[in-house]
Amino acid sequence: VTPAAAPGRRAPFDLWRWAGRAFLTLMLLFTALPMIWMLLTSIKSGFAALQFPPQWWPNEPTLASYKKLLDPTNSVGKDFLRFFWNSLFVATMSTILSVIVAVPAAYAFSRFEFPGRKFLFFAVLLRNMFPAVIFLVPLFILMRLLGLMNTHGSLVLTYLTFGLPLAIWLLKGFYDNIPYQLEQAARIDGATRFQAFLLIVMPLSTPGIIATAIYSFIGAWNEYIFAYTFINRNDQLTLPIGIQRFFSEHSSDFPGLMAASFMMSVPVVVLFLLLQRHFVRALTEGAVKH
Amino acid sequence: MTMATRLAEAPVQASAERSGLLWRVWTSRADYLYVLPALVVMLIVIAYPIYYTVELSFYNTPPSLQLRDKNFIGFDNYTLILSSEVFWQVTLNTFIWTIVSTLTAYVLGLGCALALHRDFAGRGVLRAILIIPWVISAVAASYIWKWIYHSNFGVIGAVLVELGLASRPPNFIDSVNTVLPSLIVVNVWREFPFAMIMLAAGLQTVPDQLLRAARVDGASAWQRFWHVTFPHIRGVSIATILLLAVANFNSFIVPWIMTGGGPSNASHIWITHIYELAFGRQRWGIAAAYSVILFLIVMTLGYFYVRALSGDEKERGS
Repeated sequence: VTPAAAPGRRAPFDLWRWAGRAFLTLMLLFTALPMIWMLLTSIKSGFAALQFPPQWWPNEPTLASYKKLLDPTNSVGKDFLRFFWNSLFVATMSTILSVIVAVPAAYAFSRFEFPGRKFLFFAVLLRNMFPAVIFLVPLFILMRLLGLMNTHGSLVLTYLTFGLPLAIWLLKGFYDNIPYQLEQAARIDGATRFQAFLLIVMPLSTPGIIATAIYSFIGAWNEYIFAYTFINRNDQLTLPIGIQRFFSEHSSDFPGLMAASFMMSVPVVVLFLLLQRHFVRALTEGAVKH
Repeated sequence: MTMATRLAEAPVQASAERSGLLWRVWTSRADYLYVLPALVVMLIVIAYPIYYTVELSFYNTPPSLQLRDKNFIGFDNYTLILSSEVFWQVTLNTFIWTIVSTLTAYVLGLGCALALHRDFAGRGVLRAILIIPWVISAVAASYIWKWIYHSNFGVIGAVLVELGLASRPPNFIDSVNTVLPSLIVVNVWREFPFAMIMLAAGLQTVPDQLLRAARVDGASAWQRFWHVTFPHIRGVSIATILLLAVANFNSFIVPWIMTGGGPSNASHIWITHIYELAFGRQRWGIAAAYSVILFLIVMTLGYFYVRALSGDEKERGS
C-alpha cells in the first residue's frame, strides 16, 4: 500500500506515523516493563530482592526459586507441581466438554429455524451479563448438595457453563460463514443431516473449534473466584489459589512469588502465541462481520 | 424488565401465529437436540442460582447456611443496604472503576490497533507482546503489580526517589487517595489488549479504496479517520465497550488480591464487597439482596448489549 502517486502529500502524513511509533513505544514499555521486573525479581535471592534502592540488575542471578518450585522432593515443590497438575486437569476437562457441548448448539443456532431460536440464543448470550458473584452462594449450596465440594468436578461443571456463551457465539460466527450449499450437495448425495454436519461442516470449522478451545482453556486455567470458594483441601487446589496460599504463608518471598507467577503464565502464553491466528480470526468472524 | 417477563413474552413474539406454534415445535423437534446439552447445563448452573438468589434476598439467614432456619423479612435487606453509607461509597467506586477502566482501555486499544494497522518489520512480534497481559492470569498480574507498587521495595517508588521526584517511596495501594487509580492502571494493563484485538479485526473491514479516495480528495488524516474509518468500526467499538464495561462491573480478582477492598473501603467495588458480606461475614441474605440490586443495574446495561448485538444480527439479514 505504498502511496507512490503523491510524494508531495507525504509530509503531514509522516507526523502521524511518528506519533504512532512513539505511542507504540510507550505502550510496549507499559506492557513489558512489569513483566521484565517480574523476571528480574524471580532470579534474585530473597535477600537481594528486599534492598533499597533495588538492584536494577541482579548482582548474583540465581535460579534457586525455580529449582525450589520444580523440585518434587521438598514440600514447596511438591505442592506447586500438584497445583500445576490440578489446573491442567481442570482446564483440559472443561475445554473438551465445552467443545463437545458448544459445537452442536452453535451449529443449530446458525443453521436451523426452530421456534424460539433467537430467544434461546440471546438467553445464552445474556449469561455474560450476570456477575459471577450472583452464582456463588447458590452454587456453593448446590455443590454441597451434589457432594461436589472440594472436587474438580465442581470446577469443571462451572467453567463449562461459564465458557459456553462466548464459545457458542464464536462458533456460530464461523458456521454462518460456511456456505450452506456444501451441506445441500452432501444431502443430495444421500448424507443425512447429521452426517453432513459431522463430515462436511465440522472439518471446515476446525479453526473455530481451536479458537473456542483456547478460550475455554485460558479461562479455566486463570479462573479464581469459584476455585477459591469451592476448594479448600490443599491437595485439590488449582494454581491461582495455591499461589495465593503460598504467598500468605511466605509473605516476603517475592522471588518465589514472581517465579511462581511466571511459571503459571507460561502455558497459556505459549498456547496463545502458537494459536493466536485462529483466535483472532474467530473473534473477527464472530464479532466484527457485518 | 425482569427475567420472568422476558421468559413469558419471548416465545409469544417468536411465533407470529400462535396456532402454528405447536406444530412448528413438533416438526423441528430434532433441531432442539443440538441445543439441548447446552440448555440443560445452563439451567442447572444458571437458572437455579438466579432463582435461589432472589429467594434468599427476602430472608434473614443464619450464618451457618442451615437454611431451614431462615426467616422471611420482606424487603428489609434491601432497605438496609440502600440506607447504608458503604453501599453508596462502593457504588461510586464501582462506577469510577468501570467507566475510567473501560474508556482508557478502549482508547489505548484503538491507538494500538491503528498504529499496528500499517505493516512494518517486527509488527507481529510487537502485537504478540502487547497481547500477553490479557492472556496471563489476573492473579499473577495482581501479584506482579503488588510487588511493583510495594511501599518499601516497589520499583516505581525506587525510580521516583532515584530521579529525585520524591524524597521517599510513595504509598500507592496503602493510601485512600491513590489506591483506586493505582488499581485502575493494573486493570487497564490487563484489558487494553482485548480492545486492541477487537478493533484491529474491525479495521480490516475498512475498504482501502475509500481511504485512498478520501486522500485524493484532500481529506486530512483526522478527517479520514473520522469520516471513513470510524463509521466502519462503530459496531465493533460498541461491542468492545459493552463487553469491557460488563467485565469491569464484575471485576473481582485485581482489587481482591491487591488490597482486599482496603484501606477503609477505598477500593471496594460491588463484587468484592458482596463477597466479603457473604463469605467473610456470612450475611447470606444481605449479600443476596445486594446481588439482586447489582443484577438489576447490570440488566439495564444488558438491554443495550442485546440491542447492539441484535442490530448486528439484523444487518446480517438472518
